[in-house]
Amino acid sequence: MTDFGAIDALLAGARKEVPLPPAEERRRLREELNLSRPQLAQALSVSSSTVAGWETGRDPSGETREKYAYFLEGARTKLAAVAAESHGAEAGGGPEEPGDPAELHDTEELDGTRAVVHDGDDGATLTTPQPCVLCGQPAHHQVAGFPQHLAPADCGTPTPSAPSGHGTPPTPASASARRGVKIVPVGRRLKSADAPDLIGSAVAAALAEHSGDVEAATAALVKRAIPDAMALLDHSRMGGRYELVAHPWLPDVLRKQSSRGADQIWEARPKWTRPELPPGEHEITALDVNGAYLSALKTHLPLGQLEHSTGDHHDRRRAGVHLITPPAWGHDAYLPNRSAAGTNPARCGSPNPPCVSCCGCRARSTGCAPPPQIHESWTSGATEGLLEKFRVTLKDARDRAIADGDEVTLEYVKAMYSKFVSTLGESNYNRELYRTDWMHLIRSQAFANLWWKAHRAYDEGLLVVRAMGTDELHVSGDWRAVFPEGRGVAEVKVKDVYAVGTGPADDDT
Amino acid sequence: MPERNIDFGKFGARGIKGHEAAARQLDALAGFVATPITQHCGLLARLHYLTRTDRARQAAREAGLTVTDRTLNAWLDGRRSPSRKNLQAVEAAYRTVRRHNVARYLTVRLNREGRGTRVEFHPLNQSQVTRPHQRVLSFRTLNVRHWDRIVEAWANDDEDALDDAWINDATADLGSEWGQYEYVTNVGFAA
Repeated sequence: MTDFGAIDALLAGARKEVPLPPAEERRRLREELNLSRPQLAQALSVSSSTVAGWETGRDPSGETREKYAYFLEGARTKLAAVAAESHGAEAGGGPEEPGDPAELHDTEELDGTRAVVHDGDDGATLTTPQPCVLCGQPAHHQVAGFPQHLAPADCGTPTPSAPSGHGTPPTPASASARRGVKIVPVGRRLKSADAPDLIGSAVAAALAEHSGDVEAATAALVKRAIPDAMALLDHSRMGGRYELVAHPWLPDVLRKQSSRGADQIWEARPKWTRPELPPGEHEITALDVNGAYLSALKTHLPLGQLEHSTGDHHDRRRAGVHLITPPAWGHDAYLPNRSAAGTNPARCGSPNPPCVSCCGCRARSTGCAPPPQIHESWTSGATEGLLEKFRVTLKDARDRAIADGDEVTLEYVKAMYSKFVSTLGESNYNRELYRTDWMHLIRSQAFANLWWKAHRAYDEGLLVVRAMGTDELHVSGDWRAVFPEGRGVAEVKVKDVYAVGTGPADDDT
Repeated sequence: MPERNIDFGKFGARGIKGHEAAARQLDALAGFVATPITQHCGLLARLHYLTRTDRARQAAREAGLTVTDRTLNAWLDGRRSPSRKNLQAVEAAYRTVRRHNVARYLTVRLNREGRGTRVEFHPLNQSQVTRPHQRVLSFRTLNVRHWDRIVEAWANDDEDALDDAWINDATADLGSEWGQYEYVTNVGFAA
C-alpha cells in the first residue's frame, strides 16, 4: 500500500524558491558593507568560491539559498538605513554632534559591519563601535582609519596623547580587577584563546554533583586526581615543541629488582641532624616548605630514551642518572651533605661502591665541595620546559585557591601534583606514564631545593639544625629575615617551635 | 611481505621484533605473580591460582598441566614438591591460564569502545651501525583501534599469528615507512 503520509509531507515541504536579486546586485550589496567573500562564506558555511559563483550568475538552492536571501535582504535594509541617516545629517546642515551614542545604537541592529559615515574633514563616525586603539574600549569615531575616542574623558587610557595607534595595552582601571582575555595568533588574525579552566570546571562540577557538600566533593576529586592530572598534562603539552614520550626503553638500573624492591637509584634524600649545638638555650623552628614537589616539577627532564656513556664529563644540556663517587664532605658539623652519602646507605643499593645518582643540579657548583666523580651516565637531551606549563597551571590554581580560601581546589591541586609525582614511575595507578627517570629526577630536585634552602639559611647566619625528608628544615635564629612566611610556593610555614639546650627549662624536645 | 627485513642486524642494528615488544608490554599489563616459581611462595601462588575453582582446574588441565588432583593436593600441602620438569609445566600452565583470563578485559580496555590506545614505537638501536649505513629513524606514535586479533594471538601464545596481527593491525598504519618499525627497541602503551 502506498504511504500517502510521506507524499503529503513531500508536498507540504515543496515550496517556491525564495527570489534572489540579480548577480551584480548581490555583489554590490556585499561590497558596500565592506564584507569579504571568505567572511560571508564562513557565515553561510560554504566555500568562498561558491559565493563567487553566486555573484557571477549561479543560483544557490535549498537551505543555503534561504540563508543567502536572508543575508541579502538584511544587507539591503541596513544600507538603506545608513543612506537615509547620512542624507538626514547632510540635510541638517552640519557635522553630527560627536559623542551621542544613543542614535548610533539604533543603526547597529543587524550585525557587526564596518559601515562608516564621514562627517568631517579629519574624523568619521562609526555605526558600530570599534575598540579604541588607545584604551581598548568601544569607540564611535575614527581618525585617519584608527577607531578612537575623541574626548580624552571618554578614553580610559592614562596617556590619551599616545602618538602611535598600536602597542598600547588596554589598562583601564576596571579591567585590572577582572582577568584579561587571552589571545593567540591564528594566521594573520588574532582570536581569543580557548583556555578551558580544567581545574576550576572539575571543582565546580564536583561541587554541583554533591550539592555543595565540601567533604564529599573533595573526596571525589582526590579520587580522580591522577587521570585529571594526566588530562591536564596532555592539555598543557598541546602545541608544545617536544612530544611527551611516555613508555621509553629504560636501562636496568631504573628497573625494580623485585616486585617490592627498589631500583638502584639513590636520590640523595636528606636526613641530617646537626651533631651538636653551641652552648646555651636555642629556640628551634621547624619550617615546612610549601608545595615542595610542585616546585620540583621545574627541573631538567630527559626527553627521549636514555643513552649510556662512560667517562667523567657532565653535559649541561643532558639529564639523566649517573654512577658517581660522591666527593668528600667536610662540613657535616653545620650543613647537610650535598650528596647526602653517609646518612642513608640503605638506598645505596648498587653493587659497586659508588652510587647511581641523579645529578639534576650538578650544574650549579656548590662551592663547598668538588663535583662528584662520574663513572657512567644514562642521559638524554633535556629541557626544563617540559612540565612548566603544567606546573604553572597548578601553581596558579593553588595561589587562587589560597587567596579565595577555597579548600576544595587546594586539596584537589595538592592531590594532583603529589600523586602525579608518586605515580610517574612503574605504578599501576597511573599506566599512562612510565617515566621512572623523571620520578627520580623530580624527587632529587625537591631534595636539592631543600638543600639549597639549608645552604641559604647557613649563608645568612642562621643555625641549621636539621634537614629531613622533602620539605622539613629546622633552624634557629631570626629566620623571618631570610624566608618569607606564608602559604605560597616561595614561602615557608612554621610546623613546630621548640626549645633545646641547657637552660632552666631544659630538654623538652 | 615486501617490506619485511630479510637479514636483520647485518650492519649491526639491534632491536627486537615489534610483536615481541608488544607481547612483553601485554605481559607487563597482565600482571603475573612476580615471585619466581623456584621459590616456595611463588609456586604456591601459582598453584592456588590454578586450583581455586573447578573451572580453573579444568583450564589448567587444558593448558597442559597433566598431573592428578592427588599430586596437586600433595604439592599444595607441601608433602611433595614438583620436579623441575613439572615446575616448568606449572609455570607454562599458569601463564596460559592467566593470559586467557585477562585477555577479555585487556581487549576492552585497549579498544576503549572504539577510541583505541596510543602506541609508541621506539625505533631500533643503530649505535653499532657504521655511519654510511645509518638511516633516519624517528620516534613514532599511533592510535591503534583494533586489538582483538593482537590480544587473542597473545593469549594463545601464537607467535606467527601475533606477528601477523601486529604488522597488519598496528605497524602497517604507520604508512609507507612501516618496514622500519618491524624491529624496535620498545613498544609502549597503557591499558
